[in-house]
Amino acid sequence: MTNEPKILGFLCHWCCYAAADAAGVGRLQYPPHIRTIRVMCTGRIEPAFLLAGFANGADGIFTGG
Amino acid sequence: MSDTIQEKTVGAVMVVGGGIAGIQTAMDLADTGYYVYLVERSTAIGGIMAGLDKTFPTNDCAI
Amino acid sequence: MDEEKCTGCGVCAQYCPVTLPDPHNQNLTTYKAIDILYTQAIPSTFVVQPDYCLFLNKKECKQCTRACQTGAINFDQKPEISEYEVGAVILTTGFKDVNPAKIVSYGYQESANIVTGREFERISSASGPYGGKISRPSDLKKPQKIAFVQCAGSRTRGTGKEYCSSVCCKYAVKDAIVALEHEPDLDITIFFMDMRMHGKGLEDFYERAKKSGIKFVRSRVAEIKRVVDDEDLRIQYITELGALHEETFNLVVLPMGLEPSAGNFSLARAAGIDLTNYGFCRADLFAPLNTSRAGIFAAGGFLGPMALPDSVTQASGAAACAAELLTPTRGTIIVEKQFPEERSVGEEELRVGVFVCNCGKNIAGVVDVTDVTRYAADLGNVVVNVDNLYSCSQDTQDLIKETVIREKLNRVVVAACTPRTHEPLFQETVREAGLNRCLLEMVNIRDQCSWVHANEKEEATLKAKDLVRMAVAKARSIEALSEPIIDVIPKALVIGGGLAGMTAALSLAEQGFACVLLEKSDELGGNLRNLHYTLSGADPRSYLHELIDKVKSHRLITVHTQAAVERVNGFVGNFQTEITRGPEGGKEQEELEHGIIILATGATPFRPDEYLLGQNDRVLLLHEMEKKLATGEFIPGDRDNVVLIQCVGSRDDTHSYCSSICCSMAIKNALTIKELNPRTQVYILYRDMRTYGFHEDYYTRAREQGIIFIRYELENKPLVTAAESNVRVTVRDPVLGEDITLDAVMLGLSTAIIPDRQDNLEAALPVPRSAEGFYLESHVQLKPVDSYVDGIYICGMAHFPKSIDESIAQAKAAAAKASILLARGYVKAEPIVASCAEEQCIGCSLCAAFCPYSAITISKKGKGKKAEIIAAACKGCGVCASYCPSKAISVGRFTDEQIYAQIEAFGLKK
Repeated sequence: MTNEPKILGFLCHWCCYAAADAAGVGRLQYPPHIRTIRVMCTGRIEPAFLLAGFANGADGIFTGG
Repeated sequence: MSDTIQEKTVGAVMVVGGGIAGIQTAMDLADTGYYVYLVERSTAIGGIMAGLDKTFPTNDCAI
Repeated sequence: MDEEKCTGCGVCAQYCPVTLPDPHNQNLTTYKAIDILYTQAIPSTFVVQPDYCLFLNKKECKQCTRACQTGAINFDQKPEISEYEVGAVILTTGFKDVNPAKIVSYGYQESANIVTGREFERISSASGPYGGKISRPSDLKKPQKIAFVQCAGSRTRGTGKEYCSSVCCKYAVKDAIVALEHEPDLDITIFFMDMRMHGKGLEDFYERAKKSGIKFVRSRVAEIKRVVDDEDLRIQYITELGALHEETFNLVVLPMGLEPSAGNFSLARAAGIDLTNYGFCRADLFAPLNTSRAGIFAAGGFLGPMALPDSVTQASGAAACAAELLTPTRGTIIVEKQFPEERSVGEEELRVGVFVCNCGKNIAGVVDVTDVTRYAADLGNVVVNVDNLYSCSQDTQDLIKETVIREKLNRVVVAACTPRTHEPLFQETVREAGLNRCLLEMVNIRDQCSWVHANEKEEATLKAKDLVRMAVAKARSIEALSEPIIDVIPKALVIGGGLAGMTAALSLAEQGFACVLLEKSDELGGNLRNLHYTLSGADPRSYLHELIDKVKSHRLITVHTQAAVERVNGFVGNFQTEITRGPEGGKEQEELEHGIIILATGATPFRPDEYLLGQNDRVLLLHEMEKKLATGEFIPGDRDNVVLIQCVGSRDDTHSYCSSICCSMAIKNALTIKELNPRTQVYILYRDMRTYGFHEDYYTRAREQGIIFIRYELENKPLVTAAESNVRVTVRDPVLGEDITLDAVMLGLSTAIIPDRQDNLEAALPVPRSAEGFYLESHVQLKPVDSYVDGIYICGMAHFPKSIDESIAQAKAAAAKASILLARGYVKAEPIVASCAEEQCIGCSLCAAFCPYSAITISKKGKGKKAEIIAAACKGCGVCASYCPSKAISVGRFTDEQIYAQIEAFGLKK
C-alpha cells in the first residue's frame, strides 16, 4: 500500500500561509500530499467547510493559523 | 530656524538608516503625503531586528 | 546586480564556489559570495560580496553570470554619488554591540562557547544555524547549564560605557525563557547587578522567568575561564556580601551592551550635528527627537540604547517632527497612479485566462509547466492558457494586459509565486487592462510547491494541477468588488491636557488640523505641574508655561477645561462626541465632530496606606517633597537624615509592575537635597536601582556625592515609626546582615504610578486596557500608539509611566499616526471586508460579539434588529461570517460559494 493521503489545508493569510512561504524560501522539504485554501483568518473557517472537505474525499484536514 | 528652510521647502524627506526606526518613520511620512528616500548601507532593510529571534515581552517573532 | 531583473531565484548562489561567514547568522554559518543576506530579506535581490568574489579579485570564475537566466548580474556596476533635494532629514542609523573581545576577563576569544546575546538569538532561532535546536558552537551538544552575564560592556567605569544599555536585562530574560521553551530541562542562571525590567509588561515577564526556574544571582562576574580539559567554562563571581564563588557552565551568553554605530562620528560631521560624550546623537529633554541642527531629526538607536517599542515610537514621532516642518508641501511630490475605467463584467459569459509561470527554473525545474498549462485548457470556462518564463517581468505584464483586452477575459488566474508579495503587481496589471482588481486569483506553485517538493517532480506537477483546478473553480465565482470610501472629518479630539495631550494637540495643529483639547481639571499641565527640577538641569516650569502659551494661542486648538466626555458615537473618521465643560453649576454641553481621538488621560502617584503617609507630616510622596524643596518650605539641615523609600505599592501585590521613572526621580531629589545642603545625609532604600540609559550617570554621581543606597527585600520591608521630632526608619542591610535605624526629618515615598481612570470616559469609550488599567496598544512592538480601535491613539502615562522625553516622543508618534488619516481625508476599506444581507439577518448579534475589531453594530430596523458592518473598521477576518447562523454575512473574496467551489475542486483529485 502506498501512503498517499489526500490532505486539505486551510491557512491563515497572515501567519500559516506566510510560514508555508517561508518554508519554501528556506527550501524545507515536506510530503506533497496537501492542497491548500488560503483564508484571511482561521476565524473564517466554518465547521461545515471541514465536513465538506471530508465529504469530498479528504483523508485529513489541516488548519493553520 | 535658518532662512534657507523658510525660503525653499521640498515635500520630501531623506531617512538615513533602514532598521526598524527608519522603516517606520519612512512609512509614516509616505502615508502622510511626503516623498521619502530611505537610505540603507546594507543590501537589505531590517537592521538588527531582522537578526533577532523573538521580541520581549510577548515573544512574538522578530522577523 | 540589476534589481529589476533579479527574481531572487538563488541559482547564482548554488553555482558560486566561494563561501564566507554569514553575518546574518553572526558568522555561525556560511553563505556564498553571491547570495541573499537572509531568506526574508527585502529587497530579495541576491548581491555580490566584492571582497570575496573570485571574478572581482582574480578576474576568473563568473559561474553566476552563466547560471543566471535573466542576465541580472552586472560586474560593471560602480558606486554612484546621487544628490537629492529634501525638506528634512531623519537619522536612524541605530546602535551596535559593544565588541565582546574588549572585555578580556570574559574570554570571548578564548572559547567558542562564550557567545554574545545576538549570537544566541541565532542559536535559538528556528531559521538559525542549528534549526532552533539549542546547541553550543564547539561540539553542537546541548548545553545543559547556561549562564547569562549581565552588564557586559555596560555600567563599567573607565571604559566610556558608563551608561546602562537599557535592553540587555530584558533580552537576557527573553533568551532564557525562549531557551526553556525549546529545552525545558535546561539549568539557566542569570548573573546581574540590578535587574532592570522597567517598562510595560516587563516586571511580569521577570516574575514569569523566576517561576519557570531561571536562577537570578545578584553579583558581579569577575572572570570567565575555559576549563582546560573540556569545552566548559568556569565563572568566578562576587556576591553582594563580597564572597567569591565559582561555578562551571556548558555555555555562557554575554548579552552585550550597546554602543554608537561605527559611522556616527562621520555622519554627525557630514550632517553638522552634535553628539554626546558617549557618541550618540545629542538631543534635548523637551525636544527629544531634534538634533542640534534645524530640519534634521533623529530616532531610535542613533539617540541611545532602547527597546523596539521605544524605537518605533520615536520613529513615528520623528515623522511628525518632519511633517510639522513641511506642512505646506504635503502631497506636492507624491502622485497617485491613474487607471483606466473598469469594465463591467457582470453580464458577460465567463472567460478565464490561466497564466502559468516557469520562474526560470524555479518552478519549471520541478513542475512540468507545459503539462500544467495544457491541463488548464480542459478546465471549464478557460479560454486562454499560456506559460511565461517570468510572469513578473515587464514584458509578461504587457502580455497579460494585451491578452485580457484582446480575448475579453473577465477572470485571470496566475499560477506563480505567493500572493503575499506578488498579488498587488498582478492586480495592477489587470486594472491596467480595465478589470476590477478582485477578478484576479493567484495560485502558489513555487513557494508552496516546487520549492518544497524539489525531489518529487511528478507529485509536484500533480499538486500544481490540483491547485490550478481549485483556483479556476474559485475564479468562476469571484466578482468585481468596490472599495468603500469613507470620508474622514479633518479634526482631532485630544483627551487629557497634560504634557502628552498638549504635545499631541500642538503637533496636529502645526500640521494644519483643527484640534479640541479636553482637560478635566481647571488648568492645563497635568503631572508636569508637579515637577520643579529635572536630572539634566533643564527647567520644567518654564517649559510648561511656554507649552501652555503655545497651545492656548494656537489658532487651530480649542481648549476646554473642566471638561468631561459624556458619550462617543461613530467610528474611525466620523466620531460624534458629547462633552460637558465649564465650572460646576455653569456646565455647558457641546457635541463635537471629529475624525480621530487621542487618549492622553495620564496617570497619578498611588497614595498608599503605609509608612505613616497621611498620619505624619514628615512622610510625603516624592513629588510633594520636591515641591517643598523648591518652595523652600523644607530646608534640609546639617546632619539631617532624609530617607527615600522606593517601590512603595509597586512590584508587589498592590501593583505588580515597575513604574519605570521613580528611581530616577528619587536620585534627582536626592541630588537636589545634596545641592541645597551637602551636609544633609540622604538614604535611598531600594530593591533594584533602575536608572536605565544615560540616567545611570546620575546614579554614579549620587554615590560619589555620598548618597547611601541600601537594598531591601520585599519580604523584609523597612519599618517606619513616629518618633518625637522625626520619623524612625528601620531597615535590614543585606551586606551587614543586621538592622539599621535611621531617624529622618523627612521620608519621601516613591509610589507606584497608577492610571487616571474616569468612569464616564470608560463608559463612553470602551477602549481595551491592561489589567493594571493602562490603555493597551494594538501591537506592543510595532503599533505602540495605536489602540485596539481604529482611529483612536494613545500616548503619555495613560499608556504607561514614562519620563518627559518619552512622553513627548510618544505624543508626537500619536499625532503622526492620526495625521495619516487626517491628511488623506478618507479611509478606504479593502475589498475583503464583510457585508451583511439585511433581509437574511435575524439580529442575533453573535457577529458583533465575536468581531475583534468592534466593526459591527446592531441597530433597530423596522420590527427587528439588524447587523451593520462598518467597512472602515473591518479587517476581513471573517469570524462574523463563520458564526452567522442565517448566512447573512459574506466576506469579500472569501465567500462560502468560493470556498465550497475550491473544496469541491479539491475532491476531483485523482
